[in-house]
Amino acid sequence: MFWQLLISGLVIGSVYGLIALGYSLIYKASGLMTFAQGDLLTLGAFLGVTLYSGLNLPFAVSLVLAVLLAFFLGMGVEKFIIRRLLDKKVMAIYIVLATIAVSYIIQNGTMLGFGTKTLYFPAIFPFKTIKIGSISVQTESVVCIIVAVLCMLVLHFFMSKTKLGTAMRAASMDRLAAEARGIDVSLTTGITWGLAAGLAALGGMLIGPVFGVYTTLGSTIGKKGSAAAVTGGYGNMYGAMVGGLLLGIVETMVAGLWTSELKDMISYIILLVFLFLKPTGLFNERAIQD
Amino acid sequence: MNGKKSFSRKTAGYLLLIGLVACLPAFLSGFPYGILICCFIMIYIIAVSGLDVVFGYCGQISMGHAAFFAIGAYGSALLHGYFDIPIPITMLIGSLMAGLIGALIAWPASKLVFHFLSLATMAFGEIVYQFISHSPGNITNNYVGYYTESVSIFGFALDTNLKFFYFALICTVIFLAAKNRIIDSKVGRAFIAVRESSHAAGGMGINVRKYKVTAFAISAFYTAFAGSMYAHLVKYISPDTFMQKQSVMFLTMLLFGGTASTFGPICGAAIVMLLNELLRSAERYQMLIYGIMLLVVIVLIPGGIYGTIEQKVKSYMKKKKEVRAGAESK
Repeated sequence: MFWQLLISGLVIGSVYGLIALGYSLIYKASGLMTFAQGDLLTLGAFLGVTLYSGLNLPFAVSLVLAVLLAFFLGMGVEKFIIRRLLDKKVMAIYIVLATIAVSYIIQNGTMLGFGTKTLYFPAIFPFKTIKIGSISVQTESVVCIIVAVLCMLVLHFFMSKTKLGTAMRAASMDRLAAEARGIDVSLTTGITWGLAAGLAALGGMLIGPVFGVYTTLGSTIGKKGSAAAVTGGYGNMYGAMVGGLLLGIVETMVAGLWTSELKDMISYIILLVFLFLKPTGLFNERAIQD
Repeated sequence: MNGKKSFSRKTAGYLLLIGLVACLPAFLSGFPYGILICCFIMIYIIAVSGLDVVFGYCGQISMGHAAFFAIGAYGSALLHGYFDIPIPITMLIGSLMAGLIGALIAWPASKLVFHFLSLATMAFGEIVYQFISHSPGNITNNYVGYYTESVSIFGFALDTNLKFFYFALICTVIFLAAKNRIIDSKVGRAFIAVRESSHAAGGMGINVRKYKVTAFAISAFYTAFAGSMYAHLVKYISPDTFMQKQSVMFLTMLLFGGTASTFGPICGAAIVMLLNELLRSAERYQMLIYGIMLLVVIVLIPGGIYGTIEQKVKSYMKKKKEVRAGAESK
């Protein structure tokens, strides 16, 4: 029982981690906050299930295509909405509200485009379960955890070793200095939003086969992802992943061993406790304070 | 003397407006649903004015005002249902409770800046939503919803929408007048100072934390009172009404109308509510239309409708004055 709970906690936790990674990326690169991640996850899952079972593409291809589509959507949102608002120098609340508006549009759009029924991925792998020791685990769950961790490593490599990643970090540190060094700051910010959207879509592709795909799949995951980001330290990439996994495990354990009534409440309580007592999170990231 | 004169003119204007609104049911006599919508608009005016105190004047964001709406509604309905306390008193107790909870939440939250404050208030909203939908001992009837009764003042039951309309009008006038008094007082000036720069306000000897907490408490009281009015107008409450969507709607109404003014929340609540009613037939697309509307407003008129009009009028007056001054100097 304990191990079963641990595995399912890790599965949902790795998805929270992917979402939190997106929040941290955007916050690091532009100091902004988005509320659209959860619904981008839903969109990614719907795109994936359509490509995979509708067009009969291989799973890996549909995954890459869904992530790419979300990437360009994220860049588009930055280019046509966020950038315009930033250029107008509006209050920060308008940008938060704009991302909420985008999330409403995506949520309603998926409902109109894909219907209100829950869609299921057909079996992806030839064997349904994997035996680890004495417990058997759904193959999709194992893939979910592995891909999420892999993604984190690739992202870390990208941000610290490649030229574009370095440019993105530079642009987030000091916009003016980065521009003076010839870095196209508006491009790097666009890529950040695209990456965040891509990560959300990836999360959707990973959680879709486990939970099924429906229009409100992402709305709670998106909010809990922000709890994960705060727990780890808002803006810290390792923190995002660790916070996500921790939150997933705590939530599943509380629901499985104690009471399922508290399942949804516990993440928000953790979020509040961290914000009030340790706003810098586990990884002591300097979240801006007043 | 000039100030006194313009003050009395302003008061006359307000009285005329109240009189016009009071005559409204006469025009809507063939359309009872219209009176109900007016009742809702006034409820939302009180709720959004509360949000305006904390966001428009004190500059603190709240993404969880639906929680205070819920505390007011459930507090009043449950106190009446379980302890049989007369309703107008339960409405006040529920709102005071919400004010207290608002202060308790604002105390630790007051050191958080913008984005993190919005996360904290969102989490608070979700916790309250989870609490009323998974209540201990099923006291709120969870997802089934809770039935309650209409307001009765000293045995005079406000059981029709028309009677409630006048009750709501009186409440709205009292709350808006109180809001104006607060804003014109020392407290209100402190709020504005905190909004403009909390560091400068602190340097001037203003206790920033105290005023942030005060703003949250007042705001929570307003919104909770609106919530209790909602509960006893509809006579049925369920958790669906108090989701995060509701908090976003309050913010939309406020930004749509214009912040930091008396008439901003009135314009915003009325226009958004009417638009919601007009779009009722396109329920399937409601969220989509709502999202697009929000985006258009944010991109095109960031000052809100009332704010933009006020600014246009002001700049027109200024131009006129300048022209006159130019003519005189010639």
